[in-house]
Amino acid sequence: MKNFIELKNITKKYGNKTVLNDINFSIPSNQVVALLGGNGTGKSTLLRLIAGIEKPSSGNIQYASNEIVIGYVPERFPKNLRFTPSEYLSYMGSMGGIPKVTLEAKMRRLLLLFQLEQFKDIRIHELSKGNIQKVGIIQALLQHPDILILDEPLSGLDKESQEMLMETIKELKDHGSTIILTYHEANLLEPVVDKTYFLVDGKLTSTKVNDSARKLLIINSMNKSYVKDWEGILQIEDRENQLYLYVSQQHSDEILFKVLELKGSVEAVSPIDSMEEGREA
Amino acid sequence: MKYVIQYSMRDFLRSQKYFPPLSTFILLMVVFYSYKPNPVIDSYAVTSLMMYVISAWLCTSFLALDSPVQRQLMILHAGGKNHYYIGKFMAIAITSTIFTLFAFMYPIIFGMFQENVSLSVGFISLMNHFMLSLLGIGVASLFSRIFMNSTVNSYGGLALTITISFTTIGLYEVLPTMFKNLVWVIPPAIMTQKPLMNWNGQTLSNIEWFPFVWILIYASLLISIFFILVKRKS
Repeated sequence: MKNFIELKNITKKYGNKTVLNDINFSIPSNQVVALLGGNGTGKSTLLRLIAGIEKPSSGNIQYASNEIVIGYVPERFPKNLRFTPSEYLSYMGSMGGIPKVTLEAKMRRLLLLFQLEQFKDIRIHELSKGNIQKVGIIQALLQHPDILILDEPLSGLDKESQEMLMETIKELKDHGSTIILTYHEANLLEPVVDKTYFLVDGKLTSTKVNDSARKLLIINSMNKSYVKDWEGILQIEDRENQLYLYVSQQHSDEILFKVLELKGSVEAVSPIDSMEEGREA
Repeated sequence: MKYVIQYSMRDFLRSQKYFPPLSTFILLMVVFYSYKPNPVIDSYAVTSLMMYVISAWLCTSFLALDSPVQRQLMILHAGGKNHYYIGKFMAIAITSTIFTLFAFMYPIIFGMFQENVSLSVGFISLMNHFMLSLLGIGVASLFSRIFMNSTVNSYGGLALTITISFTTIGLYEVLPTMFKNLVWVIPPAIMTQKPLMNWNGQTLSNIEWFPFVWILIYASLLISIFFILVKRKS
């Protein structure tokens, strides 16, 4: 399979802090690739490097062509925009050089698909978090992207929109796009992911993570939004009113303490023998 | 690029960040021309300096409009940093030109001058407004939120630099001979004041051109440095 993106010896430093250390990997075309890892492991940084938004401190990234279109959905889409979704998407599409007629048709289709039609003339800063996230997703889909990069795309989306996004990802893949994403809601996106990479301490591994240093905490009566940004949380699964938290051994006590403090109830704590393997579809 | 300009200008209007520089500018103009008649060359020399400050203010406000993530998205859509920032500078230049035209036309329309504005005086004065606006934009671009982490550093650094640039002549007088050339580093905002005061306004050939050219070179250098720094910034 032909490589669509190739990262060679990528290192990224912010001041003295090395966020990514000698990353080497390649992504074949027409694949859905997931990058997983705890908070602060450099997932978003790596996505920004692939999107070309930031430059690596050393190493290089090669694309199959210089003419590729990249769609990027940031983890935190700006919420204080003074435009309506209609105006905003129209500007973004026009900046990307999409002809007016095509752009209007595309916008209409995407706004309907993501059930944003009724909010299209309300300013973005007045919309709910989920609807703002939808605008963030739609702007990345305006030009048919050769590479679609999604940083925590399901965060804040309602169930229907999450499913709609999954369908869109599948559709894009069927039409030849490469999709790179990060997520916490593993159980939802797993079915569409072809290959998973794990980022640990700035290094990338395509096989399993350091199992001995991980634990699974099963928590009752707790909303995912509370734990999402805690340090040491590697993965979250929302299963029938229970949260499955995959956490680093190092942070497990601290996380348990926080859960109890927030009146959450701990159903089970267990070491993980075999965590998610890098999967080839 | 056209859409980056349109987006930025519309966002600027909706943000209402235009109000502080606009109200200050109108107030300054009205107060400055509260007595009449006024000398043409001297008055325009002063309003050009006002444009230096106002354009710097406009530039800082414009470059602070987009959050870092929105900037990243626009750079992706616009096809690169150059397209994005050239669009931003064009939007600032258009806004600054509207202010400049007001500064130029207001005293003429309301009969604030003691004499008619001749073609040569009008041309030089208008050019001086544009040059100093460009200088203000160049200076402010380096103090924008793109490089500065805090608003205090951004506006504070800019205010300090503008203040220092107004004291160039005084500094030149007090500096020891061996340090006098240091004033060339300071933005040449008041460099055109002296040639304008010494000009009789008759012909374009008897005005000293170098200060105008130097302002253009200096502002161009600053804007070039801005683009180099932006390119390096990851």
